[in-house]
This record gives sequence, C-alpha cells and structure tokens, in this order.
Amino acid sequence: MDAEFINTYLLLVTLTSLLANAIISIYGLFFKPHYTKKVIALTILSDTMNTFAIYLGYRTWVNGVNPRPPVLTSTPTEKSISEFTARAVDPLPQALVLTAVVIGLAVTLFLVFLGYILYTHYKTLDMREIKKLKG
Amino acid sequence: MNVYAETIVYLIMAVVSLLSVVAVYLAIVERDLIKAVIYSALQSGFYAVLYYLLMAPDIVLVYLPVAVGLIPGVLIVLISKTERWEKE
Repeated sequence: MDAEFINTYLLLVTLTSLLANAIISIYGLFFKPHYTKKVIALTILSDTMNTFAIYLGYRTWVNGVNPRPPVLTSTPTEKSISEFTARAVDPLPQALVLTAVVIGLAVTLFLVFLGYILYTHYKTLDMREIKKLKG
Repeated sequence: MNVYAETIVYLIMAVVSLLSVVAVYLAIVERDLIKAVIYSALQSGFYAVLYYLLMAPDIVLVYLPVAVGLIPGVLIVLISKTERWEKE
C-alpha cells in the first residue's frame, strides 16, 4: 500500500468524524426536549466548528518534515523567517478560535442563568411542558 | 523513518476523532444529565488532543480549563439547582 494513500485516508477519517459530530450535535440541539441537553449540544457544536477552522489552517508534512506551531522563539533572522514560512501552520484560524472559545464560555454562562430563571418561573426545564404552560 | 512518523501522527488523529464521535453520541443519547455532562467533558479532552496534534498548543492552554473545567462545572451547578433526569 502507498503511504500517501494511507495518510490521505486517515485525514479523511478525521474530517468525516468531525462532520458526524456536527450532525449528531445539531440533532441534539433541535430534537432533544430538555433545556440542559440543548445547552450541552450547543457547546459540542461550537467546539466542532472551531475544530473545523483549526483543521483548515493545518499544513501537512512536506517531504517528511513536520509542521511547527506558529511561534518564533529566537531573534528573527532571514534564514529563520524563511524556515518559519515554509513550516509553520496558519496562525489566523488559531487567533479566531481563541476568541471564539472565550465568547462560547460567556454565551454558555448566559444560557445557564437563563435556564435557572426558567426553572424558578415554570418549575420544569422540559421544553414540551414549557410550551403548554402560559403566564 | 519519517514516513512512518507522519502516518503515526495521522493515525492518532483518526483514532482520537473516532473516539470523540462515540463520546458525542453517548452525551446526546444519555438520559442522566450528570453523565451527559461527563461525556461532553470527555469529548472536550479528545478535542484538546486533536488541537495539540493540529499544531495549536496555545488553543490547548485556553480550551482545556474552559471546556473540561469551567463549562461542566457550571452545568453541574445548574443541574443540581434544577432537575437531573430527562423525561421520555
């Protein structure tokens, strides 16, 4: 078997399972009746989308040389900068995902307090029962 | 030698993402919400390994305390204040 074929196959497995995670969490977000379960599905969905962004910025190995994190640890010279641009992965999705993780934490905290207020108001968190109740 | 190293890294990535599919499925299907939160924390741990292998160690440093520590902790506080079981 060709090594390149196996590598492509394994990367495709990773991508397909991320897609499966997105589909399962969208199912949980729309069709599960309980509020807390919907919040859990939303966090899983946002994590999966972040992982897609990181995956887009990844660079595969070039001639057996591994990719590096986008960090320059020494004083930049012309040689080290050219090596950096040849090997480092894309830093832009990482910066965006770093922001998105923190924003996701804030949104989750807001939804948790909203759920607590829903429970004190309706004495249940089941969405089918909340739909029936008035006032 | 280098060819095998590349394949091994991709193999770990594939195995970790397949395990994360199992964790996500269990987290969505489970009726006990405490167990669902623990499965979702497990999925976050697999994603942290995946981020490390995708050469994003700075994301791992932020994502691990937020998604394995803070969000499950806050959700467990919500579950303890409200109800634990999801009805049929």
